[in-house]
Parts: sequence; structure tokens; C-alpha cells
Amino acid sequence: MSEIITRELSVGYDKKIIIGKIGLEVKAGKIVVLIGPNGAGKSTILKTIAGFLKPVGGAVYFDGKSSEDIGLQDRAKLVASMMTSGFGAEYMTVSDVVAGGRYPYTGLLGKLSSEDEKEIKKALSIVGASEHKDREFNKLSDGQKQRVLLARAIAQKSKFMILDEPTSFLDIGYKLSFIEILKDLATKENIGIIMSLHELEMAAKVADTVVCIADDGKIDKIGNPKDVFKNQYIEQLFNVKPGLLKETYCFEKIENPIAQVKAKLENKKAHFLMVQGTMSSAGKSLVVAGLCRIFMQDGYRVAPFKSQNMALNSFITEEGLEMGRAQVMQAEAAGVKPSVYMNPILLKPTSDSGSQIIVNGKVRGNMRARDYFEYKTELVPDILAAVDRLQQQADIIVIEGAGSPAEINLKSNDIVNMGMAAMVDAPVLLVGDIDRGGVFAQLLGTIELLDKEERQRVKGLIVNKFRGDKTILDPGLEMLEKRGGIPIAGVVPYMRLALEDEDSLSEKFDRNDKAPISIGVIKLPHIANFTDFDAFEQIPDIGIHYITGTGDVDAMDMIIIPGSKNTISDMVWLKESGIESEVIKYSSSGRPVMGICGGYQMLGKKIRDPLGVENGGEINGLGLLPVETVLTNRKYRSQVIGTVVNPTGILSKLSGKRYEGYEIHMGETKPIEGNLPEYTSNGSGYCSGNVWGTYVHGIFDSADIVTGIVEILAKEKNIDVNLSNVTDYKALKEKEYDRLADTMREYMDMELIYQIMGMEDGKAKSV
Amino acid sequence: MKKREWIVFIFLILAILVLVIVNLFSGSSDVSINQMLDILASHNTNDSLGVIVWQIRMPRMIESAFLGGALALSGYLLQSFFANPIAGPYVLGISSGAKLFVAILMVCSYKMMFNMSSLMMVAASFIGSCLAAMLVIVISKKVKNMAILIVCGVMIGYVCSAATELLVAFADDSNIVNLHNWSMGSFAAASWKNVEIIIPVVLIGLVMSVLLSKGTSVYLFGESYAMSVGMNIKRFRLFLILVSSLLSAIVTAYAGPISFVGIAVPHVIRTVSKTSNVKAMICLSFLGGMATCLMCDLIARCMFAPMELSVSTITAVFGAPVVVVMLLKKKNSHQRVDK
Repeated sequence: MSEIITRELSVGYDKKIIIGKIGLEVKAGKIVVLIGPNGAGKSTILKTIAGFLKPVGGAVYFDGKSSEDIGLQDRAKLVASMMTSGFGAEYMTVSDVVAGGRYPYTGLLGKLSSEDEKEIKKALSIVGASEHKDREFNKLSDGQKQRVLLARAIAQKSKFMILDEPTSFLDIGYKLSFIEILKDLATKENIGIIMSLHELEMAAKVADTVVCIADDGKIDKIGNPKDVFKNQYIEQLFNVKPGLLKETYCFEKIENPIAQVKAKLENKKAHFLMVQGTMSSAGKSLVVAGLCRIFMQDGYRVAPFKSQNMALNSFITEEGLEMGRAQVMQAEAAGVKPSVYMNPILLKPTSDSGSQIIVNGKVRGNMRARDYFEYKTELVPDILAAVDRLQQQADIIVIEGAGSPAEINLKSNDIVNMGMAAMVDAPVLLVGDIDRGGVFAQLLGTIELLDKEERQRVKGLIVNKFRGDKTILDPGLEMLEKRGGIPIAGVVPYMRLALEDEDSLSEKFDRNDKAPISIGVIKLPHIANFTDFDAFEQIPDIGIHYITGTGDVDAMDMIIIPGSKNTISDMVWLKESGIESEVIKYSSSGRPVMGICGGYQMLGKKIRDPLGVENGGEINGLGLLPVETVLTNRKYRSQVIGTVVNPTGILSKLSGKRYEGYEIHMGETKPIEGNLPEYTSNGSGYCSGNVWGTYVHGIFDSADIVTGIVEILAKEKNIDVNLSNVTDYKALKEKEYDRLADTMREYMDMELIYQIMGMEDGKAKSV
Repeated sequence: MKKREWIVFIFLILAILVLVIVNLFSGSSDVSINQMLDILASHNTNDSLGVIVWQIRMPRMIESAFLGGALALSGYLLQSFFANPIAGPYVLGISSGAKLFVAILMVCSYKMMFNMSSLMMVAASFIGSCLAAMLVIVISKKVKNMAILIVCGVMIGYVCSAATELLVAFADDSNIVNLHNWSMGSFAAASWKNVEIIIPVVLIGLVMSVLLSKGTSVYLFGESYAMSVGMNIKRFRLFLILVSSLLSAIVTAYAGPISFVGIAVPHVIRTVSKTSNVKAMICLSFLGGMATCLMCDLIARCMFAPMELSVSTITAVFGAPVVVVMLLKKKNSHQRVDK
């Protein structure tokens, strides 16, 4: 069977690879279509297969024979190509043009035989241009020209055809008929066709196989049209604003707008529990956090989850991905590391009426609220994938809803409340806020507005933020249970907790802008372990500024260079952005600069990467510390406890303070001057004057060290700061989570909750 | 050939016949029809009229005809090569390149006291035109705009002319006149000896052009088209440029640079015969070039007789308007642009 195969083919110009490792296959009678953004290299691939360009690497095989072993005329008999749209010399007739296709078959002077004439006639009739055969080619319309050029390719009698955007510039009628001709050629003449198309609807119509070429020089996907032509994927491939595509193209049928999301989590493994509220700020987040802590205390692996958050201030995970703060707090309560899968969708309101859409921690684009409402169902697979990731490592997943499940105008295709509960088949606890009044109406009204099916999901009611004498409430609760037919799972008292949540945090950020002491953290493109600086946030007088460009460094009272996931490329960024020279200038005036982990490596004279752990090569650091770093393949990863010993400069007062943290890095940093003071143990940190570097992450989590640094900075500035209630941040939070859990245990029917989760023996597992 | 092509063909043949006759009769000495028939029949070179007809008018006529044909053909090939209707050996500076090399040879032969043979002249001219052509090709790789390409060609022509002028300044008096006349373009130096070389060389160029016609007809549609049907582009381009350089070299070697015939003739031929058939174009352009140069030479030597004008003066008068009209027409239509 005839076929074109490319093996390890790299294509490009002047030995420069545009796309590498191409493995394509074109079989006789099949149509392969290349799609992708402009400039991705589609034409380059086609030109290389057609033999116009030499492969930069690899080879093209025609029926098993490398193209380089095939003579030009023989190749022309194997493959005809149609690269450019029609232009021709003056007075050239249509049959002259088509006759060109007989070039490989005619003699020295190109005289056409009767067989040649026959083939020309046949080719013209296949494309339906017989009546134009004596017309001047240049006077034809674009659509007719393309047909004639196709006839030329047909007249070449080749087994394969290569076409580069043959339907561009044609009106829809010509496009469609052109595509039909191609389909006929494939099926009736058994010609294998490979072509590029910009019109996706045409590609979807004609292709047997679709090759998607992304603009980063990679073949992103090879598949059948059904798999490729999904709005979400196409938007991603062409960098289209999410949702925009639907206005023009729609490959998938839009589901009935009032229908529910039908997707379900397959192979459900974990137990699910969902907490929904009757209104915003009913206290769902803390209830979820409390439940997480309780389940954790009872010996389960727990993960919080909220499909979609709307918040201005996101949290950045160790991987550098963005997620909502509430799930971070809940993850801490559950004793697990926060992960973006706990909050796959984050909407960050932008200045206008729209939001930035962040999916799995990565920005998808900006969208108006109305557009997002249309678009969100396409995120269902992402949500389910996130849940599935979580359930690999959790026994119980506690899901938080958003707002109220009874917003009847927004209920269609819901993905955050009842829709979410349905997706994973989770029982629901409904939380009402008694503090704001009308709790019975809240709970009963909400239940009333739910569908029958949804109502059946609600397995328990919670009255939250209760203050005062519970006995007065009891008769009301009885009636509530009777009217609603749903048991009361608990009455949770009003609690004041020193835990962050979305709202309070945003306040904190606002305040920080005017804080008397400013600490600048360089926001490296590959910043790692953002959480290192959380400890500063509990101090009202400290403002953490994330520095992304020049001009901000000078105003800071201290500069911290954080860890990086790619030190060398971030160092390059530091140089390119001009921040490097600002920091050097800043440091030369004696002001304090600290580097953590990757930031520490950058403070040194040189970073070398002989093994190519990152990008290879070496780069000069800031040169503020006389140390040198060699990146190695071995990953250092350890928890560390130690004491600060005689740091230099203004931090000298920190000597003797204990720290607790962890090291995680690839590479060793060694001083290149003998007597460099070491201030964190085991060679993990060196300092010189007011420049300190250390590998210890979490060094600021120690209350002593944080307050110490702040006091020193305040003294330098001659101002007073309030440090009275700064405690060891982690310890404080742990205590608060425990207090929350204890209170909730006391006031809630945990037995009932385990029961509705289908874990009758839940209690038995508790310690 | 199509009907229109035949009409043009027959017209050109008739025109050439008429021009040949008029050429034979025109000149400072009047010759009656009877005398002429007598001279032609007897091949008599004993009396002065016989010498004038046989030794002066006849070779000059043949030379101008063949060189004119060569020039037009060279222009047609260059136009095909550059996909550019205003290409020609003169505007692209190829004639001037040839001129420079011939001038160098002339000066050298005088300084070094050797006799310059015709073949040496042809060789020098050929080398000069090839070098200039290569230079234009290199430029054409960088600029896709045909107007800029032409400007570059004109510049190359000026540079070569300037260099030639420089050589003239250093040459001896006796050389200057000869060199100067020649560098203006003229068929005055025609002789049977020259014709013996010109005819075979031009015929070789003509045959080669016909052999290249299959490739040319595909190449007219652009490189990717030509590659697609299995043409060896590099080889084709090399041959095409060698043949067109040879054709313009022979002209320059014997008649100096002659302007506009290379551009205008193929264009007029194409317009009146409305054909893109390469073989027809080769044939008709050649005949058209013959007729044009016969006519122009006739005018050049008879208009202000006994003073003789340079052929280029006359060809420019006829050719330049054609080129201007062509440019105006082209302005609004699409240009060929290879991707």
C-alpha cells in the first residue's frame, strides 16, 4: 500500500529547525490536514515533504524509499504539490497551465502526446473546468484558478498530493466544491492528500487525520477530527480568548441551556461531602475547614475542594500556580499541602465587568461575565480531572459550594453548587447564617427553590454563627426539621478565629500598601515557595511588595530574592529586567538584601550548570556574596532545625534564635573566600555585611526571627511597630484549627455526618 | 502555432524581406534595380558598387539582423528568468558588464602589443556579461521588487560605464575613437569575418533556447510550480542565464551595447501575438529583433547621411515609449511574486 511516512523529520530553513521530530503518515486514499496558527510551520512541513526544502534532520519516505534517493522527475510522478495561489504569465491559457502537469512525462521539447492531451482533458473535467480550457488563466476568478491549478496537479498523475492552504481566498461556494473535489480524488482515484487549511470547518469536513501544530514548534496533537475539533482545544491551539470561538465556530452541539451538566465522575473512590450556604459569607469556608480538621483528627486523608472561586487575591502554590486562599486554609486544616486541584477554577475580577479565568493555576484569558456563563460547561472536564487527582490521595473530599444554590437565574449548567454535587454524587450540608437573621427562611426558602432531585441531596442543615442560649432556638429547629424534612446536623456557635480567609486577606493587602515598613520580594518568573513570606503578613506594619520591574527596589526597607524553580533563567530575567543593577546599587548603599534558596544562589558570584540540570552553561550572579554555586543532579531535600549564629550586619541581633524549616535544592553553594561567616548551620547559609543567603525555606515562620527582623528594620527607620501578638505563625494556625474542630465536634452531630457520607463505621476509626 | 502567431510570423518575414531590400538599396551611392540584380547575380566585387553591396551593405545587414535577433532573444530569456517584463540585457547592466570587459581587452591588447582576435572579444564579452548577470541574480535574491531590481541593474550599468570611461581616459588617442564609437553601439564595423563568427554563435544560442523551452514554459509559472512538476531548478537557471549572457555578449562584442531592443521587442511580440507559448515566443522574438535592428540600423545610417547615428539612439527612440506604456499598464495589474 502506498504511503508517505516521515521519520524524526526536522524541518526549517538554513539548518535552523522550525519544527522537529515530525512523525506523519499519509496513506493512499486518505486526507491528512495540518492546522495551527499562522507561522507555526505548516508550509515548511509541506515544502519539505514536497521536496522544495531539504530536511534539516530525519527523512521523508515514499513507499519506504527515502526522498533523497528519488530523482526529481520520479518524485514528480509520486507527488504533486500546489503551493501558491494562481499566477501565471500573460496570455497563458488554462490548458497551458494544466499541460505543465505533464512535464515529467513529455520529451525533450515538451511536445504533448495524445495521451497527455487525454490526461489534461480528464483533469479539467474532474475539476469542472473543461469549458474554460481556452481562456486566459490570469483572467479567471480566484476560485476558478485554484481549480485549474488542482487540475494541473491531477494531470501529474501522482499518487500523492500536497496542498498548501488551497481554499484561502475562495468564497464559500468554491471552498466547499473544492473540498468535495479533493474528497472524490481521495476516494475515487485513491490519492493520498496532505494539506494545510486555515478554515477549520473545512478541515473538520474533509480530514481523515488532523495534525495540530502549535506555535511553539511542536506537533501538539495528531488525531481524528472528532477528537481535535473541540472548542476548548482549538481555543488553546490558536490562543483564542476562551469562549470567543463559540461565536463563530461551534464544533460541539451546545447543550440545552436549561439542562444540567451531565458529566459524572467515573470510578469514584473517595467519600464526598459538600457544604453549601444559603448566602455568601454564611461561613461555609470555616465549616469546611473545621470538617477537614475533624476528619484528619479521625485518621482520614482529607482534601478540600471548591470548583470555582471568585477572588482578587490568589495564593501561589509551591509550583507557582494560582489558587483561591480559602482552599489553602482548608488544606492546612486538613494537614495537606495546598494544590491547584483543590480549586481548579479561579476567577479574578478585572477592572471592567469581566474576570480573568484561571484554570488549574494557569491563566486561560479574560472574559465577560455573560461569556463565562456560556463557557463554563467546557470546564467540566477540568473540574472532574481535578477531583480525580484529589481522590487518588484522599479518603474524604469536602467540597465547598459558592454563594447560594438557589440562584434560580443562574442555575442552568451549574458547576459550583448542586451541579457540582451531582457530578460527584455528594451529599450536601446546607449552612444558614443566623447572625444576619432570618435563618429559618434562609434554609427553608433555599430548600423550597431546589428541584426535587436537588432537594434529595440535602442531607443535613447547619445553623451557623449562633450566639446566646440554644434552648430558645430549639423549638424553631424542631419545626424546621419537620417542615423541611431534613435533619439538623448542628448549630455552630459564633467564633473569632485568627485564620485567613479571602475577605480579611484582601483588607490586609490594602493596608500593606501604606505600611510603614516595606519588604520587597522579587517576583521571579519561576518563583518557588511563595509561602516563605506569609509570616510577615501577620504583622500589620509590614508591607510585602512583589517586585516585577524596575523602579520599586529603592523604596524598600529590605529586599528578599525568593527561591526559584529555574535559577539560571530567572537570573537572566533579573539581568534583562534591569532589576539586577537596581539591587546591586541598593546593596552597595549598605541596605539589607536576603536570598532564599535560588535567591541565595543568585546572590553569589557565579552559578554553574556543567551537567545541564537547568539549561547548562554558567552565569554570573549578583556578586553580592563571595560564593559560587554548582548545580548538580542530586536533589537535597531535608527538614532542618537550627540556630542562627552570628549573622553579620544589622541582623547580628538574630544570633541565637532558633529556626525550623526545610531545604530543597539541586546544587551546592560554597564560599570562595575562606573566612566567610556561616550563620545557618551545615553550610546552608553565608553572609557578608548586610547581605545574607540561606537555603533554609520557612526561616521566617519562626516568630523570633520574624519579629527580630521587623524590630531591626523598624529601629533602622526609627519607628515603632506593634509586635505584641506575633506568634509562631504555623503554631498559631494549628491551634486555631484545633479549636475550630473541637467546637464543631461539640456542636455538631458527627455521627450523622459520617452516616450521610455513607461511612456508618466512621466513628469507629476515630482515635 | 496558433492563428495569431502565424499572422505575426508571416508579417515579420515579410518585414524582414522588405527591410533587407531597402537596406541593400539605401546608402550614399544610388544603385538601380538592374545594377543590383546584376551585382547580386555576378557576385562581382571588382567595381565600387559591387564592393559597397557585397563588402559593406551585405555583411552589415546580416550582422544587424542576427545581432538584433540575439538581443531580443536574450531579453526574452531574461524576462522569463526574472519573471519580469522589463528585464533586458541593457537595463540589467549585462550589456555594460560585457562592454567593460571588451574595453579592458582592447586597452590591454594595445598596451601589451598583441592582436585582438574576434574570439577573444566574444570571450571577454561573455565573461563580462556572465559576471554582471550573476551580480543581478544575487541582488534579485535579496529584492523581490522588480522596480528595485531594474534600478540596481541600471546602477550596475552606470558603474560599468564609468569604469569603461576611465579606461578610455587612459587609452591612447588612436584607440579612443574606435573605443568610443563602439561603446555607443553601432553596426558600422561589420565584416564577413565577423559574420562568420556571429551566425554560428547566435544559432547555438537559438538552439539552446529552444531546448530550454520545455523548462521555460513551466518556469513561467513560478519556482514552486516548476519544482512540483520535477524540474531541476538550479540547473535550468544556470543554463538559462548562460544562454542569455552568451546572446547578449555576442551583440556587445560586435556592436557595443544596444538599448531597449531586449525589453521592447519580446513585449511587443507578446502583446500582438497574445501568446505565452515559449517556442513561438522564441521564434517570433528572434524575428522581431531581426526586423527591429534592420530598421533601426537603416535609420541610423540614412537619416542624417553621411553622418551616422549610433544604433542605440534609434532603438531608444522606438523602445523607450514601449517600455513606458508597458510600465503604465503593469502598474495596475498583479505582479508575480514567488512565495
